[in-house]
This record gives sequence, C-alpha cells and structure tokens, in this order.
Amino acid sequence: MRVFMRRAALAAAVLLVGILPAFAGTYLELQDEIKEFTLENGVRFIVREDHAVPVFSFFTVVRIGSANEVRGITGISHVLEHMAFKGTSVIGTTDIKKEREAMAAEDRAYAALKAERARGADTDPDQLAALEAEFAKARDAARQFVISNQYGQIVESHGGVGLNASTWTDYTEYHYSLPSNRLELWAYLEGSRMADIVLREFYTEKDGPVTEERRMRVDDSPMGKLFMEQFQNLAFEANGYHHSTIGYMSDLNTMTRQDAQEYYDRHYIGPNITVAVVGDVAAADVEKYARKYFAKIPTGTPEFMETIEPEQLGEKRLVVKQDAQPLLLIGYKIEGINHPDWPVYQAIADILGQGRTSRLYAEAVKKQQKAVQCAAFAGYPGLRYRTLLTVLGVPAKDVTAAELETIALAEIQRLVDEGATADELAGVKRRARADFLRGLEGNNGLASQLAMTQAMSGDWRDLFTEVARLEAVTLEDIQRVAAQIFTEQNRTVALSENVES
Amino acid sequence: MMTTRMILKLLVAIGAIALAAGVASAKAPWEKIKIPELDTFEMPAYERVELPSGMVLYLAEDHFVPMIELSAQIMVGSIYEDADKVGLAAMAGSVLRTGGAGERSGDEIDSLVEARGMDLETWVGQTTGGAYLSCLTEDIDLGLALLADVLMRPRFADDKIELAKQMQKAAIARRNDEPLSIAMRELPKVLFGADHPLARHPEYASIAAVTRANLQEFHDAYFHPERMYLVVIGDFAADEMAGRIEAAFAGWPAAPAPLPADPEIPRLPRTVNVAAKDGLSQATVLLGHKGIRNDDPDYAAIQVAAEILGGGFNSRLFKEIRSNRGLAYSVGSSPGTGWRYPGAFLAYTMTRNDAVEAAAKGILGEIDKMLNEPVTEDELQAAKDLILNSEVFNYDTKREVLDRLVLFEMYGYAPDFLQTYQEAVKALTPAAMQAACQRVWKPAELSVLVVGTPSEFDGDLSTFGPVNQIDITIPAPKATLVIPEATAESLAQGKARMLKLRDRTGGKAFANVKGWHESSEMTVQTQMGALAITIDQTVQLPDHLRIVTKLPFGEQVQVVAGDQGWAVGMGQQKDLTAGEVAELRKAIDQETFGILRRVDELEFQALAPLEVGGKLCNPVVVEFDDEATIMYLDAETDLLVMVQSPATSPMTGSPVTQKVYVQGYQDLSGFTLPGTLKITHDDEDFADVTVKSFEVNPAVDPALFEK
Repeated sequence: MRVFMRRAALAAAVLLVGILPAFAGTYLELQDEIKEFTLENGVRFIVREDHAVPVFSFFTVVRIGSANEVRGITGISHVLEHMAFKGTSVIGTTDIKKEREAMAAEDRAYAALKAERARGADTDPDQLAALEAEFAKARDAARQFVISNQYGQIVESHGGVGLNASTWTDYTEYHYSLPSNRLELWAYLEGSRMADIVLREFYTEKDGPVTEERRMRVDDSPMGKLFMEQFQNLAFEANGYHHSTIGYMSDLNTMTRQDAQEYYDRHYIGPNITVAVVGDVAAADVEKYARKYFAKIPTGTPEFMETIEPEQLGEKRLVVKQDAQPLLLIGYKIEGINHPDWPVYQAIADILGQGRTSRLYAEAVKKQQKAVQCAAFAGYPGLRYRTLLTVLGVPAKDVTAAELETIALAEIQRLVDEGATADELAGVKRRARADFLRGLEGNNGLASQLAMTQAMSGDWRDLFTEVARLEAVTLEDIQRVAAQIFTEQNRTVALSENVES
Repeated sequence: MMTTRMILKLLVAIGAIALAAGVASAKAPWEKIKIPELDTFEMPAYERVELPSGMVLYLAEDHFVPMIELSAQIMVGSIYEDADKVGLAAMAGSVLRTGGAGERSGDEIDSLVEARGMDLETWVGQTTGGAYLSCLTEDIDLGLALLADVLMRPRFADDKIELAKQMQKAAIARRNDEPLSIAMRELPKVLFGADHPLARHPEYASIAAVTRANLQEFHDAYFHPERMYLVVIGDFAADEMAGRIEAAFAGWPAAPAPLPADPEIPRLPRTVNVAAKDGLSQATVLLGHKGIRNDDPDYAAIQVAAEILGGGFNSRLFKEIRSNRGLAYSVGSSPGTGWRYPGAFLAYTMTRNDAVEAAAKGILGEIDKMLNEPVTEDELQAAKDLILNSEVFNYDTKREVLDRLVLFEMYGYAPDFLQTYQEAVKALTPAAMQAACQRVWKPAELSVLVVGTPSEFDGDLSTFGPVNQIDITIPAPKATLVIPEATAESLAQGKARMLKLRDRTGGKAFANVKGWHESSEMTVQTQMGALAITIDQTVQLPDHLRIVTKLPFGEQVQVVAGDQGWAVGMGQQKDLTAGEVAELRKAIDQETFGILRRVDELEFQALAPLEVGGKLCNPVVVEFDDEATIMYLDAETDLLVMVQSPATSPMTGSPVTQKVYVQGYQDLSGFTLPGTLKITHDDEDFADVTVKSFEVNPAVDPALFEK
C-alpha cells in the first residue's frame, strides 16, 4: 500500500515540475524497499535486499575525518584507517596479553626517543642513537606476537573482493564485498574492528607506508602539493579543512600510539558510524548479526567542528614556482551540504565547468584553446562545513596559469552579469536525473551512496530527493547565488608557474 | 602410596594437559561461524546475435532503471599507426567523437548529448578501440544514430584535430611532472625496446606529422562492422534491439584488407635503467620481463603464484616490504599474463630514495624464494580460497559477464575458459606451482627501472648490472612557421627583398647564365661515422643535368636530359622513373642559384621578421607544388642566412625539414655565393659542404648527356 502511495506522490511531484515523465521501472520502489535500524549504541544500519546474485556489498562510513583533527596530530584519521586492517585483540595476534605488554614497552621507548628528538639543537647524538636502537628493539619485540595481515587474509580467503578503505576531510570509509553465505562472518569481522581495534605495528605503519603515501600523493606530486595541501592551507585558516587529510610530515613523524588510541576512543562511537548493506541478504539477518557483533561499540556524543571559518575579507593568492607545468585553482567559499543553496551551487558548478558544453570548457578549451581542462565542482575539500566551489584549470602548452585565470574569471563574471540560460538549467536537471539513475546500479555503488548520504547530510533519503531539489532551482537562484559567491573578496587563487630546476 | 592430594594434583595436571590440548585445537572465533552453502546462481540471460554485416551483439535486458548502455570493442589500435606518426590512433579515437559526424558538427553533438544527460565517448588504445553510449531509454534512437555517425561517418573537422593536437602536446609537456607517469612510460621501452609498437609514445614531431587525411585513412582502414563487438545492457526488448542496431549501422562496408599481423614481443636480456629527476623524496622501482599468454598451460599456476607473491594484503611482498619493513605504501606484483599478447611479469614498489637497492633486493629475494622453495600448503590453500571463494564475483554484474564473453571471442578463448581455470586452480600442488614459476619467471632476466633522485640512493644499482641512464628530456618541438595568406603587399615586399638579394649576389650577370658547373665536397654524418663525398654537378639550361657523386666505395652518375634520366653505378645502367627525374630537376630550378636566376618569373611572399642563428632575418617564401621553400635574408646585409625546405632523408627515406645554413660567402666566377654550408635534417646535423669551384657557362662535351 505504501508503495502505491509513494509512487502517486512522486508522480504528483513530477507533474508539478513537469519534466520527469512517468516510468514503469522498478527503481521507483527502491526507496520503499530500503530498511533501516539503529542499535542502542547509535550505530545506524541501512539495508537493501537484492537477491539476483548470492553476494553482498557493504560500506561502513565513520563520520570522522581530517577536519576533526587538531594541529600536532594531523593525518591521524588516515593513520587509523590503516590501523583498522591490523586486527583486533583476537585477530592478528599469537598472545594478546604479552603483545600488549610489549607494546607498552615499545611506547615507553618511543616516548624517550621523542623527548630526545624534541631537544632539537641540544640533542645528544650518542644518546639519540642509543634510544633509537632501544626503540627498534622494543618494536621488534612487539612484532613477535603479530600475525601479519591476518584480518585481510581472512576476508580474502573467504572470497572477499574490493577490500579497501579511504579517508577524507569529513569521513573515513571501509568497504568490500563477500559471497552472501558469509554475512555473519562479515558482521563479526566488521563489528570487531570498530569495537576492538588493536593499534599494533603503529610506528612501522605510520613511519613506513603512511609516510610513503604522503611522499607519493603530495611531496613528489606537483599537482598534489598544490591541490591537496597549499590550496587548502591558503583558503581555510580556522576550520579543519585547513590541512590536508594526509597530514603534515612533522605530525606524522611525531604522533604516538596514545594519540591514535585517544582519537579512536573519542570518535569511533556508535552515533558516528553508519553501515549500509546491499545485496543477497535478509534484513532480519543483518539486524540479528548487527545486534550480536556491533553492540560492543561504545556510544557517546559526536563532536562537531566548533571552529567556524570566519568570513574572508579579501582575495587570497599564492603563486608557486616549481619545475612542472602550470596549474590553476580558484576557490570561492560556499556553505555546506545542508544549506538550502547547496543545489544551486551544484547547478552553478555544472553550468560553469562540467562537460564539453560547460562555459569554462567551451571558452578556454574549445574556443581559445588555452587549456586542456577546465572544470568546476562544489564541495572540495569538504561537504559538511563551509567549503569551496573550485575551478581547476590545466593550461595548454606554453600558456601560463595567469592567462588561463583571466579567461576563467571573465567567464565567471559573465555568469554573474548575465545569469544562465533556460537551456543550460534544463540540461543540468536532465543530467542530474541520468546521473542519479546511473548511481543506483550495482550493490557496491548503492551501498556507498546510501551510507555516504546518511553520514554527510544526516538522512539517506536525501539521495532520492536530490533530483527534485535540483528541479526546484530557478534562473533567479543562479544569478542570486552567483552574485553572492563570485566576488573578489570571497576568492582564493593558487597557481603554479613553471621554472626549470 | 599415592595420597589423595597427589591424586588431586595428578588430576589437575591431566586436566591442565587436556585443557591445553583443547586450546591448541580450538578454533578461532571466526572459524566457528557457520558458513551455509552458497545459493546456486546462474549466468545472467543474454543473447548473442551476429548481424549480416559481421557485427557481433551481446544483449542483456535489465529494467531496473530506464537506461540503456552500449559498449563497443573494436579491433583497432595504435599498434597499427605509422612509427613517425605516433599519436595518430589516439587522436583518431578522440576526434571521432569531437570532430563532428554525419550531418552534425562536433559542437552540435556535444550540445545534444549533454542536454539529454547522455554519455557518448570513443577511443583508440594500444590494441583495441571502442565506443560507449549511455542514455535514458527514451533517447535510444538519437543515441544509436549518434553512435553510428561517429563510428561510420566522422568528419574530422580541422579545428577539433588542432584541439586534439593541443591536448597531446600538453600531455607531452607534462609527462615528466609525476614520477609514476615517467615510470609507466619508460617501462615498456625497457621491456620491449624503444621503437616497439607497445612502447613508443608521441613526441611533438610525431603529432605535428599527423594530417586530416591520415586520420580519415586510419578510420577507413580499421573501423568496420565485422571488427566490432557490441555489448548492450538495459531497459529494452532484446529481439527488437538487434533490429534497431542493424538499421542504425546499415551500409557500413566491410574492411578492404585484413588486419596486419600483430607485432612480435621480444624477450630482451636484463638491463638496469635509471631515469633521474631532481628533488624527489621517493623512488619508483620496477622489475619486469616478458610474460605468457593466458592460453599457456601454466596460466593457472602463475596466477595463483602471483597472488601469493604480490597480489594483495596477504601476499609475501606486501607483508615483507610494507608491513614488516615499512619500506613502502605501494608494493606488489603482476603475474605477467595477457589475453592477446604475452603480458609482462612485474614487481614494483615506491620507496624512499635511500632504500632503493634494499627494496629491489628484497623483492628479488621474494621472487627467488618462489622458485627455490615450494610454498606451504596453507599458503596455497589461502590463495586457492581467495580465487575459488570469490568465483561468484565473476558473475555479479551483467556487464562483466558479457565483456568477458567478448574478450574470449575476440582473442580466441573457449567460452568455458573460466571453468577450466577454476579446475586447474583446484588441482594445483606446491610442486607444480614451483615448477611453473621456474619455467616462467626468471629473476636474473628481470630488467630494472628506477625513477628517482640517484644522488640519494643507497647504492648505484650496479649490483644488478651495468647501469644505463635514461634521458627523459623532452625533445623540443620544431619551430613551425605558419604561412599566412599572401597579400598584394606581402608579395611586393617579397619580390623587393629577392631583387635586393639578386643585386647583392650577381645582379645582371644572372641574365646571361646558360649553364654552370659546380664541384663541392660534402661530409655526411651517418650512423657509421662521417662519410666524405665529392659532388660534381653540370647544368645545361633549360633541362640537362649531370651529377657525379664520388663515395669512398665507388662512383655514381645521374643524368637528366629533358624527360629522360638514367643512373650509372657499379658498372650498371638503370633508367630513372619520371618521379626520380622530376626530383633531380629541382636542382636546376628550385635550389638557390636556380631561384635567383628566375626572380623575375617567380612569386615571393614576405613573412614577418624572425631571428635565425642570432641574426634578425626577413623571411621570404616561394612555393613549388605547394611545398614552401623559405629563404631567411639577413635584415642588415640582405644576404641569405638559411634556406629551409621539405626534403627526404637519404638515410631513412622519410620526410624531413632540411635547413641549409650559409657559413661563408665566396666570390665565385663573378657571383657572390655561399661557399660553405651546414645542412640539418629535422634540426640534427646532417652534412657540411664546401664549394671547391664554380664556373658559369662552361664548355660542355655533349656526349656527357648521352647514354
């Protein structure tokens, strides 16, 4: 009964806006087939049954990312993501009691080493060498009890595919897919690492793979340096979007296991965790196993970012000279995902810089041939708090970023002065609908969209109303918001110039 | 006597032993979780239809969302492009879509596609090309029409070719910015040789050489229905869709010629290579050699072995290099198996500079271990479990099922290839796997490629063999001169400049020229070293020419008498073709002396001033058969500084830009003419010329021009 009502309601909405023709497709019932429940500790589950193939996918989104970090421990959300593959008090160890003792000794050795290093110019080289040797010994002693990568091995030997995780400013997510007869095993594995993490091999991991990852993504990448670090550093001074998710090298070098444990205890709590499961599962089974294996996760009160990025009082600008071809980034401050103008930001970004007919591409790439790419997107570097509408330009050969900037700014100003056309706005809406439908396909894709929407906006249903909210955007909205955000005062520009080394 | 207490003690002891035994054999918590039988599953329903044109369709209905997706694989690739036009195939792949098709311009297609939320893309990769369309069900007719247009009737509009060239040039300029892109570009060159079709990459010159006609020819040669496999999934009726597709692609002709043979994949001996880039904090380390095709009998063994060596979280490389030693974030291996070609067995990591040798040795050590010791039963079982338990994921989307069937059909694999593979995996033993590794993987033959900052390395890598430095400098683009439309003004100015040059070099004396004899010495740079040549040239106007070329190993005479021409060399005489005669006659009319003689009758166009060799020059262009010869005249002295013209390289036979630089002027028989010249081909030194003697209107024995 509810299904029919829902469809009728949607049909009415469709008639109202007059764009969406009615379909006989089954995706219309999708929203009503989605079940949800919340455990006493606050962990929220979203389940969609699809019995076509005996597999399922899940996405666990922890609403914690680098925006929650304070200076001194930047990068710690990402280090924790790595640690979540190291096992629990049961998985990955030969003797947890002895291992914990050895880890405590390792921590003491590290604290002594860190204190000596912190003396800077006064550091005694002999003392330092001795402490380094002691720490290495303690680290190796702790490793004796480790069964390396057992967590991943269990997942993979049961046929798990796509095992991975990622961290960003607003969230940390974990995902993989399993044959559907492993639902209970999955609940055990996932519940355990959320509730019972053991930060084994902490120092090896952060000084090794995590540091190498920073080198790869930021230090040795001209694009990464500018985009993932300097641009954010410049645009945001107060809120947690200031620093990159990968963290500063100096913080990676000095953070301790206690830092990570405290951060985990504070943030890996029920209300911050959303799990979406999609595939050949019974929702009742998911709930049964969730209660059995996820109930151990402690509850608590989620912390929201308290520092609000203050209003920007003038243009910010950075020119990086590096031995690499030029790049251009222009950012304008906008509000986060739950602001009523969010769909307007999306429409503006689309008209300006998504696709070959978008204004920036048509002008800078196709007409003037001064760029090989020029795109715009809303929501970098984050979604939840005051963030940016960003233009990314890749100049053509022998064109400077400054030249491209002039072209981009002229196009942006034209949008402010003349607004968008009815055809442009109609295209935005049509593309939004097609993209929404494309996003519903596949267990993995749907699980990620449901969990991410829930974690970011607070309601997974927003996934289904996004198109309607875009439908409601008017030409007046676009001109109003464009005039409001596209000001010199609200602008941050980071560009790089090529200098031969 | 045993006291009660002792008995108790004993019982406790026995109990403890039993307990300990119980602990030892107890299952871990996750092992106690029951795994029910997996529900049976079936291949998704699909239809295979072969159209009369030879196009093969794989169709599967899916009505969940009102959308249709079409994905085409086409037997075309950059392996078929000319070696001096690298980039042509990729350019064809993108301009198919952007350059307009059928009745519509590229911009019109962009507008239609984006206004309706469609995706429409085309591409050509190394060994295949393809097209992709995704649209709402209601737009399928338009979508199919556009897809057929771009594949069958591309327009290759000039402005979009230029845009594609701009993008390729930008990519070339940026190709050394990211270390990983350096590594991925250089690796195939290390493995297969720099000129191999799977290794070569675009340069400014190869991009500039591509013309619209080349793109059209490439399309006409390779885009044909019998080479296309189309996977169609979505909200349609399968029986009706085949007919629609047939109608949309009606009239597409079959290929005029079969595909060229695939290039051979060589197995090169080990080389050790370093591509140096300053200021990197991390080095990319790659080890590789030629692998096997997937129909090799050891395919399954190698797949499983690669899983154990460097497949995932539980692999040996991941554990040893990343988890235990903390040397890397990125580390792993790929088995070296391929569907069409033998793949490349690879192991890789990215590590700090001062751990390069240590990491490379660590990786080689792990590979050696795979050859020297059988893996444990447990390890093998875990790898088998990984493959066998994830089998269902080979069937969880229609797209991957149908794509795989296309792959099998394109490269001649049986449709039940996967089932055979699963059986082979189940039957594997540690010994059989070790034998396969020994046969296929040869650690001593693995070439080494490192991208990094060598001054920071923990060793010079010579432990792996003699080290070859790879120069990653990007060859500079040739200065291209765009010749604008001639105007009355530029023509008048051009003529005026040439008249000045004629006055400076011989003036009225040119009018009395009936013929000339020139003797010069030329030193040509060849791969074998410098080659000294003497050239003796006799001209009798209007159309007689005799050239005697003396080489260290013999002499050749070429004679042109009107439309006739012949060559004598090595005791043999051979008639020249009309084309060869025409080419030789250029020496009479189209070289500097001939041009100066004819200033009155030719048209010259002045171009904007330009610096050549540090001198400001006034360029003047004269065209012969649409080919521009540009003379750069010194703005101060009015004398010739350089002459640029298209030519054919005698070394390679390919077209080059020839530049003749004047090194010094001489008074020759009443004319002021260049006495020493430097010739470059594509800006590389080709030859030096010294004029030994020059005589106007010499006495000539008529017998010289008789056979």
